[in-house]
Amino acid sequence: MVERTEERPLRVAIADDALLLREGIAKVLEGGGIEVVASVGTADELLATIDDLDLDAAVLDIRMPPTHRDEGIVALERIRQDGSEIGILLLSMYATPEYALRVMGAGSGTGYLLKERVSEPQTLVRAVQTVASGGSVVDPEVVEQLVQRTRADDPLARLTERERSVLELMAQGYSNGGIAQTLFLGLKTVETHVRSILQKLDLEESPEHHRRVLAVLTLLGQR
Amino acid sequence: MMAPGRRGRIARRTAVIATVVAISLFMEVSGYLATPVDLRPELSWTTVHAMVPLVFAACAGVAWAIGPNPVPSRLMIVFVLFWIPQAFYPVIETLGWLWPILRGVDLGWAVVAGILVLVYPRGGLGDRFDRVIATTALVATVVNFFTVLALAGPDSVPCDCVPNPYRLAEAPTVFAIVDIGYRFVGVALAIAIAIRLLLRWVRGSVPARAVAFLMPVALLSWVSTLATQMIHYATGTPPNLALDTVSLIAMASVPVCFVAGIAHARNMRARVADLMRITREGADRGLWAESLARTLRDDSVRVFWWDEERGRYVDAAGRPIDSAEEGRGHSILPVASPSGLPIALIRHDRVLTDNMRLLDGVSSALRLSVDNGRLRSEIERTLDQVRQSRQRIVEAGDEARRRIERDLHDGAQQHLVAVGMQLRIAANAARASGDDAVAGELEQSIGTLNQGLKELRELAHGIHPSLLSQGGLALALPELAGRCPVPVDIAVQPEGRLAELVESTAYFAVAESLANVAKHSKATRAWVRAYVEGDELVLTIRDNGVGGASLDRGTGMLGIVDRIDAVGGSVGLASPPGAGTTVTIRMPAHLEVSEALPGSGAGLLVAAEPGVEPPDAAAAPDPSNTVAPGVVGSPADR
Repeated sequence: MVERTEERPLRVAIADDALLLREGIAKVLEGGGIEVVASVGTADELLATIDDLDLDAAVLDIRMPPTHRDEGIVALERIRQDGSEIGILLLSMYATPEYALRVMGAGSGTGYLLKERVSEPQTLVRAVQTVASGGSVVDPEVVEQLVQRTRADDPLARLTERERSVLELMAQGYSNGGIAQTLFLGLKTVETHVRSILQKLDLEESPEHHRRVLAVLTLLGQR
Repeated sequence: MMAPGRRGRIARRTAVIATVVAISLFMEVSGYLATPVDLRPELSWTTVHAMVPLVFAACAGVAWAIGPNPVPSRLMIVFVLFWIPQAFYPVIETLGWLWPILRGVDLGWAVVAGILVLVYPRGGLGDRFDRVIATTALVATVVNFFTVLALAGPDSVPCDCVPNPYRLAEAPTVFAIVDIGYRFVGVALAIAIAIRLLLRWVRGSVPARAVAFLMPVALLSWVSTLATQMIHYATGTPPNLALDTVSLIAMASVPVCFVAGIAHARNMRARVADLMRITREGADRGLWAESLARTLRDDSVRVFWWDEERGRYVDAAGRPIDSAEEGRGHSILPVASPSGLPIALIRHDRVLTDNMRLLDGVSSALRLSVDNGRLRSEIERTLDQVRQSRQRIVEAGDEARRRIERDLHDGAQQHLVAVGMQLRIAANAARASGDDAVAGELEQSIGTLNQGLKELRELAHGIHPSLLSQGGLALALPELAGRCPVPVDIAVQPEGRLAELVESTAYFAVAESLANVAKHSKATRAWVRAYVEGDELVLTIRDNGVGGASLDRGTGMLGIVDRIDAVGGSVGLASPPGAGTTVTIRMPAHLEVSEALPGSGAGLLVAAEPGVEPPDAAAAPDPSNTVAPGVVGSPADR
């Protein structure tokens, strides 16, 4: 996490092989008061210049040249290996829970969003801000897919409907405050729900926010 | 049951043999009795003399039964009739019309015996030498016959015969010259035949050697005694009884040798059956030539194979043969397929030419085996081509799916996302300028667009799951299981990444199986396992549903069966009613995509076996404790 003053806007780089989207994303982010300092077509180009850019966050497409497979995630893992803690938001055309887990597993300050979220400027801007400040973001569609997975002896069956809603937001990376805001609940009420959920699902309360997201996603994926 | 024709033939032959035996015995016995007691030969000698035609008659019967043609048997029968004892003349001494005729043909038996030896073993005259000998013998016999008729006096036969009514002149010197000359020619011819037979036997690695040696031995002893007799006759000294007896026994051994030879050849034909067996079982060229040599009892046999590529004959080692011409003592038998394609040349001992039936059998066997081999390798080649082309079709289909998905991903999907973004910008602008109606319309369009994008995403995923090419079965199968409305326990033991064709085939097979579970099984739970066992990828999809499924129900599963077939795999289905369904799929884990056809193997009977892939180094799979790479925690059973 990079220390920053209130005056200085977030410095962000974009890597996507589709020029149209790259420009669109830049427009959306700039509209949200974020400074786009680099816009490149491959992960390698980004990695080559990342040290000189003094970035707060980077937005990466997952599928990029040369193999069109998981270049974005590989780049994320490389960046984390190199000790950098800038926020990384990965964009994908598909909502793939397996990738979301892998992204969350790379550490804090990471996010996984569907590309079509670019048509929701607030969502995109907020996601970049969240990862830049060390938070986690998981696309609601990924969580929806995970929750819809049917398993025998589903532990989710033990949750109340309200707890389920809270769990889904937890999985998307919302903080307790964010959950309270979204569901129009008091912070205390949300904290009570969260404790109850963690207890029912046999999960440990973790001081690190992203660990909570990871634990919840893993549980959902494992069911 | 014998055919009536065959039975009649046997009866006729028996009658003929009985008749000539009766005639012969009559001549012998009546002659013996008619001879004055003091002039009679010893009884034992007469007995042996009488035995000779009996042996011939018996052998005629055998030769008729087993011989390739009736000529030898007929010659043996004629021999019996010509075996006229000297003692018979007293019986017919009063018949002036008869005795000169008998006197004229009284050496006919020797001519017949010579021809018999000459036609051995085929029953026909072979080459020019044979024909010259036979012609000479017949001409000499005719000349002798007419000379005897015209010149013989009663003093030329051992009896008190009436005068010869055909006699034209008294010329005892001419008569003696012709009479003795005839015998001399006969002995010369017999010696020539014997020497030729002996030479043929010595020189060739004669197949019939084992038995044929009897023939020259018999012939030689007979020729030598004949020569002695002739000398005695010419010089007028009395015949030696012991020598005469040996001569008779030698004579009797001729038909016995003949029949033994025929039986041996017959035996060789039976061995052609062994050759056929080898043909059927399939053997290589070396073995075939070896068994051919064994069959023919001819170590000098060489087989030269037609090499279609080079358009010439080659030996077993593949060296081209410059010329395969008939050489000394060797004959060449070309063998061609029914369609006229050359197959091989068999260089064999010339003596084998005497046994055309045997060679016919051999070439039939060869033709059959080569045809079999050609047919088999052709079928295998065709099958292989079909298998490869099927695999290529599936691969092409997969490739097309991948391309469509990628085109959608990089094209339509990106553009639609960009459109959504532009609509959003427009909507925001409209809202900023207070045009709420337009803003609302635009926002609604965004909602519709996003719904469309979601459907397009599902469609693209169905065409080709990007996760499969990116993460293999270890990622794609759990994701697939997660989409199934029936809870699925999944255990994937991935052996790293497999060939794309294998992965996609496995993926779509599991997808279709799970779709069937969801649609038909009424199951509440399903289990999917994927692991590599040896060289095989094994997939099992099990459910606790109603069972009673079948592979040919529904085109979806049929398509999957075809796909798995195309990669050389198999599908098993166990679905007893009421006890769930288990689909077991096995397919090669490592497919080699090779365009090249396997060695065309023009070799006889040798069909190229498909190369066995080296065994996979992977340890025995244990699918229960596997972790998919890249996935936090295990997607497996808890």
